[in-house]
Amino acid sequence: MKKILLFIIAAVASISIQGQTADEIIATYFENIGGLENLKKVKGIKMTAEVNQQGMKIPIEIYQMADGRQMTVVNFQGKQIKQGVYDGKDLWSINFMTMQAEKSDAEATANFKLDTNDFPDPFVDYKSKGYKVELMGKETMDGAETFKIKLTKEPITVDGKKEESVSFYFFDTENFVPIAVQSEIKSGPAKGMVSQSTMSDYDEVNGLYFPFSMTQGVKGQPGTPITIKKIELNPTVDDKEFAFPEDKK
Amino acid sequence: MKKLVIGAFLAAFMLPISSKAQKKSSISAKQLFGDMRARHIGPALMSGRINDLEVHPTNDRIIYAGTAGGGVWKSNDGGTTFNPIFDDYCQSIGAVELDPNDPDNTIYVGTGETWTRNSVSVGDGLYKSTDGGANWTKLGFDKSERIANIIVNPKNSKEIYVGVLGALWGDSEVRGVYKSVDGGTTWEKILYTDQRTGCADLAMDPKDPNTLYASMWEFRRTGWSFESGGEKSALYKSTDGGKTWNKIHNGFPEGRLGRLAIAVAETNPNILYTVIEAEKQERKGLYRSDDAGATWKQLNNDFGITVRPFYFSRIVIDPKNADVVVKGGLSGSISRDGGKTFKNLGNMHSDIHDIAFDIHNSDRMYAGTDGGVYRSWNGGTTMEIVENLPLSQFYHISVDDAEPYNIYGGLQDNGSWYGPSSSAGGINASDWNSIGGGDGFRVLKHPTKNIIYSEMQGAENVWRYDVDNKRVKTVQPLPQKGTPKLRFNWNAPMAISQHQPDRFYMGSQFLHVSEDMGNTWKIISPDLTTNDPEKQQQENSGGLSMDNSGAENHTTIFTITESPLDEKVIWVGTDDGNVQVTQDGGQTWTNTSMNIPDLPKNTWTYHIEASSFDKGTAYAVFDGHTMNDMKPYAYKTTDYGKTWKNIISDDVVGFVRNIQEDYVNPNLLFLGTEFGLYITLDGGEKWFKFTNNMPSVAVHFIDLQKKTNDLVMGTHGRGVIILDDISPLRELSNEVMAKKVHFFKSKPTIIWEEGGFSGGFGGETEFVGANPSRAAQIKYFLKKRHTFGKMIMQIQDMNGNVISTLSPGKSKGINVVNWGYTMKQPKVAKGKTFSFGGFTAPKVPAGTYKVVLKKGRDTYEHTFEVVYDPKSSLTSADRKFKHDTTMKMYDMTQELAYMVYELDAILEEATKLKKKKLVKGLNALKETLVITTGDNYVGSAEPQLREKMADLYSKIASGYDKPSNAELESLSIIEDRFANAKKEYQKLKKKARFKDKLSLKTFEEFLK
Repeated sequence: MKKILLFIIAAVASISIQGQTADEIIATYFENIGGLENLKKVKGIKMTAEVNQQGMKIPIEIYQMADGRQMTVVNFQGKQIKQGVYDGKDLWSINFMTMQAEKSDAEATANFKLDTNDFPDPFVDYKSKGYKVELMGKETMDGAETFKIKLTKEPITVDGKKEESVSFYFFDTENFVPIAVQSEIKSGPAKGMVSQSTMSDYDEVNGLYFPFSMTQGVKGQPGTPITIKKIELNPTVDDKEFAFPEDKK
Repeated sequence: MKKLVIGAFLAAFMLPISSKAQKKSSISAKQLFGDMRARHIGPALMSGRINDLEVHPTNDRIIYAGTAGGGVWKSNDGGTTFNPIFDDYCQSIGAVELDPNDPDNTIYVGTGETWTRNSVSVGDGLYKSTDGGANWTKLGFDKSERIANIIVNPKNSKEIYVGVLGALWGDSEVRGVYKSVDGGTTWEKILYTDQRTGCADLAMDPKDPNTLYASMWEFRRTGWSFESGGEKSALYKSTDGGKTWNKIHNGFPEGRLGRLAIAVAETNPNILYTVIEAEKQERKGLYRSDDAGATWKQLNNDFGITVRPFYFSRIVIDPKNADVVVKGGLSGSISRDGGKTFKNLGNMHSDIHDIAFDIHNSDRMYAGTDGGVYRSWNGGTTMEIVENLPLSQFYHISVDDAEPYNIYGGLQDNGSWYGPSSSAGGINASDWNSIGGGDGFRVLKHPTKNIIYSEMQGAENVWRYDVDNKRVKTVQPLPQKGTPKLRFNWNAPMAISQHQPDRFYMGSQFLHVSEDMGNTWKIISPDLTTNDPEKQQQENSGGLSMDNSGAENHTTIFTITESPLDEKVIWVGTDDGNVQVTQDGGQTWTNTSMNIPDLPKNTWTYHIEASSFDKGTAYAVFDGHTMNDMKPYAYKTTDYGKTWKNIISDDVVGFVRNIQEDYVNPNLLFLGTEFGLYITLDGGEKWFKFTNNMPSVAVHFIDLQKKTNDLVMGTHGRGVIILDDISPLRELSNEVMAKKVHFFKSKPTIIWEEGGFSGGFGGETEFVGANPSRAAQIKYFLKKRHTFGKMIMQIQDMNGNVISTLSPGKSKGINVVNWGYTMKQPKVAKGKTFSFGGFTAPKVPAGTYKVVLKKGRDTYEHTFEVVYDPKSSLTSADRKFKHDTTMKMYDMTQELAYMVYELDAILEEATKLKKKKLVKGLNALKETLVITTGDNYVGSAEPQLREKMADLYSKIASGYDKPSNAELESLSIIEDRFANAKKEYQKLKKKARFKDKLSLKTFEEFLK
């Protein structure tokens, strides 16, 4: 009897998986990582991580705040070097030569601002943000079967021309968490290539699940691994940390 | 959280059910090969054939190139650089079309090139992308073989016309013009002539989408002939969206017609141009109509306009000026007087197949040639090549045993070359060396001397090149008394012996052998072909335009293999289907082709691979595509060809060109097909298509480099592609794949000490081939993708000390983790700027190390070895001294770092407490320890102890040599200075009585 019941449950599960829609996959994803409502309560995330290149390590700290502010702090020989800092107005980084803050160009800043509503996850309230999702089908990624979901966000501007902002998320069909993201690189030397990030080592932080291991790179080439050692939710960060230095204004 | 558990629970129960349903094919290629990725090394300097160019109708930055054998490439920088967007599909492209109503997203690709030379590949249908090329769906036309045109109604995206040229090598009903009114879901054939006649060109009136022009071409190729033209070739017009068609031949030449091109002027749709292949030479050429096809006038029949119509027939009209017309050709021709007179386009690679004008500025032009894409800024007078299109079309490759090994090969219309498998800064254009002209085919390195053999089409020349002395000698077999005329294949076979280094084989219809590198030749066989005179009429080939290039030479030997185990055993395969073997060095020959089951008679023997395990064992692959048979054929014999066994499974798609046996595991075989690389682990029961960074490109030849275990492929459209170190595949078995984690054995890794300079100029726009990894590679098989929970990897010495931690791969299948055989870089004192030397991590000493993989609760271990370069002149005492010195400086650097850390803390507190004298003393000392001013560039301050120490440490740690006397003297100065600084610091430290309250980290804590 028990066996039959399990069999039925399994059969139902497999039917529902065959008929998955993108919405259902995203809903299950949020359920599985701890619930959409809980996720939406998060006001900020601090990740203490390490970039690991064949054993060479660079410690970094990544801050992401609900209001869109962000910052990555790279630690080189005890020096804190901020990269990709957004204070709600300006996007800036420390120049490695002069160690002084410099603003990103207007287009990069404008494109960046478009993503500030993506905290903590671009799929949160994607409809009300005007995003579109589409289930492209199943694809094998990292040897695992995945649902491939296309996410279309606000168009970005590339060298003066408007272009669609599209990325493809690969949700593991077993756990419904994304294990990879791909998107076309729109500017810079790798323009036209496809970037790929992978995610693994999902673990719990205050009832929510986050990937603790990632790689970032170009599709078809080995990526740069990032190992997250600690994730802190709702960290306290001084507003000044994000602000573009006054003396540079 | 709870939900997650339930979800996982359900999933766990689901799996056994689905796996039960598919018991047999338990694992797919994408679940198997994981991190094993192909590496592309080009070359791109000669690029390859382009079939079709397509510009975006409103964005002049975007241009597409549909290539003959290398897929579809997109440029979004006005043709400066391109990226491939069609790698997963057939790489032979006929046409690329953007929907003019949605050009950013909707792209159609018709596969199968349309310039029907002997070596053309085949297509497999029509594809569509609705997201700018990120994803593709197939719209059918599986048997179309070649699609010449796709046109989307500029007023209605649902209405699409497709011109199908169709099968080249046989009858087919999938030809003519097709129409869809539902965006490609359903199709109606709206113009069809017969099984021999296809649509060679299709055009739409730019003002009236219901007016269409279609040129129909009667054509046929066999392995030994080509025929262009016939009664059925014609130019048609429809004014009702393809419902009815009428011939528009008023003013055309009389008699049979060949290939016709058609173009309609964008500025005036009444102006049409066609190029006509006709019976009479004087009636061939360019014709123009000024009344939308009602009447035609012949304007020009120069060589440039009439040359090889099957290969060049494209006409392109300047979108801004109907009197500027360009015709593809040997050099390409441009007219600025409405087609009356022409001049050649500017110097570029010959054989121009397509031309595109920029949408805004007609001075900007693009040309697609046999040697890539060219750009012009001045209306076609000066042409510059696109440098990042690695589309080289190899017929053959071979490798030598140098370190790094070189790859040799011949290319379609681009001569013969050799280049290295790795090079400082990556493998770029200047790394490749020319080693033959014309069309290049087989290129072989002499096994022991620095001599290279190469050839051109039909063995018209076989070159023996003395590399050291730069001397070239032609050594092809010449006619001998009493023997008939020699028949060499276009791609004539040559072989060298593994037993006699100076022995050199060539095949005509006879097997020729030379024992002195080609100076004297002996025939050691009878005619080994069918010698069918019907297939020896090449001087009549071409149809309306004679085309006797040698490309159709038939009834010839195509492949020669001497057994690596016995020089008397030689296998010969012919293009007309014979598989001949001798066991006595050529005295007696046996034709074994009749012993091969289910192989159609006369199917081209493309390659024979003599086994390196058993001299009676060989593999043979056959290519039937020139008989219109696209099926894969591969066989194995273990008894000198008395019996042959089929080793192809249903997994293989596309006809086969090559097979390679592994040197270690006889069940591991590699198959080169028209649509990519296949690998079997069980001698051919099941084949896996390898797709990791490996396009579906035609693999013409495969070699396996013995020292590196690299699988080297000569592709016909994407250059040389290498699959580095296939040794893990030797171990893959059902038992291995059933384990949760399996580490693969690996050869000891050499600690890489080579350096050098790479220049790196031109890398912005030039293709640069990837180098192999020099890291120690840890390879393992994971049964399941790791997604939840921790998985970490450590490198430990054999005493369990952690040397390094790495990020392990998580894929199901094979994972490859690179370790740079280094320890952590030292902790460096904090200063105002960086100490660049401090970024150096010391290399570990050679020896055995342990990799420890922790996954969930389980721990897996594996040992491996890193060794010093055997070419190094250092003794083990030198090595030890170098390592000890490095570590001494490493420790010193960290000691200084801790001192500065303490000093900073004391200084901070002293400042707070306003201890002026102490602050002054500490500051004075600090200024000698680390840089406290300036920046990391030209504003940098004078280097202090930290910088001097770290720079010397880095110099010694990263050098290949033992520390020199100069370095040691410098070290002693630094040591003295450090000793003095320490003394001074201790004095100051004593004065800071408050220091115990500071709760400073211990040295060990600080280093963490």
